[in-house]
Amino acid sequence: MKPPLLARALLAAVAGDAEADCIAGDLYEEFTYLARTCSRYGVSRWYFSQVIRSVLPLLKLRVRSGELGGAILGATLGVALPLLLLDQLWRLVYSEIPLKDGLDRAPGFLAVNVSLVCICSAVNGFRARSERQAAFTALASICAAGAALWISTGSTPAAYALLVLLLAPVSSILSYVLRLRRPV
Amino acid sequence: MDTWKALNGYIRHFAIDRVYRFFYYVETVAKGELLGEFEHLVLLAVLRLAGDAYGMRVRREIAHRTGRDVSIGAVYATLDRLAAKGLISSSLSDPTPERGGRAKRSFRVTGAGFDAVNRTRQELANMLEGLEFPTFGAVR
Repeated sequence: MKPPLLARALLAAVAGDAEADCIAGDLYEEFTYLARTCSRYGVSRWYFSQVIRSVLPLLKLRVRSGELGGAILGATLGVALPLLLLDQLWRLVYSEIPLKDGLDRAPGFLAVNVSLVCICSAVNGFRARSERQAAFTALASICAAGAALWISTGSTPAAYALLVLLLAPVSSILSYVLRLRRPV
Repeated sequence: MDTWKALNGYIRHFAIDRVYRFFYYVETVAKGELLGEFEHLVLLAVLRLAGDAYGMRVRREIAHRTGRDVSIGAVYATLDRLAAKGLISSSLSDPTPERGGRAKRSFRVTGAGFDAVNRTRQELANMLEGLEFPTFGAVR
């Protein structure tokens, strides 16, 4: 009998690289021990409760150890900040052109934004040390890009927003995968 | 590519990790070696389990002796804090089949840990000295 898949996935997602394996092993050991005396439902419920109650302490631990903080800082400085700076730059450019001030951004400008998001996310993904970190970096990139789009002053067409939110995590994960495949 | 690797390592080590580790260090060292209540329990559990103290056994020991059903995450977070204070040290064992092929991290109390336990026990004894307690249920 195996612990519930969803609980295992949640544990793998929230636990840091240093603890994930040990905690999963500890819980598995206790799970098999309890499975001898408890019902399948009871032991699964115990496993779920342990994982859910561990989410907050483990996330806190990851923030303290710098693991999550690095990804959040990377996404903020590497994705949100460049997007916002570009937004300000386009705003300045548009304000200098007669009759253009306040108009929607031209596709060329938005394409530059998208390219920059891809490059910055890829750099962030390249820095990830493990799959877990790469996944979190991708998630942080989505959040940072979303926040930057929300704050930006220029218009955000749906297709552009979707492209940014999609390409940010994809380029992050892709660069991590490419780094893994790179011959040493 | 080596230059990029070096630059990446430099950025990670000095610009990001250092900043977070600094705040972590400030937070843990500011408290000194004074133990919080749960830290005290965890440290005593590690002490009791001698050479075979690992996450789940520490959790079970606390549950057995205090009746508290604590989560494994809370235990690991506290063990990590104690290790950062230098009160415990840890070692990783080889993966075993009964743990689903996963490694086990065992903990043991360091000299500083023994000092911290003694100091906390002494402080508690000093505070309790001369106090008389009514029996359970006597005060409503």
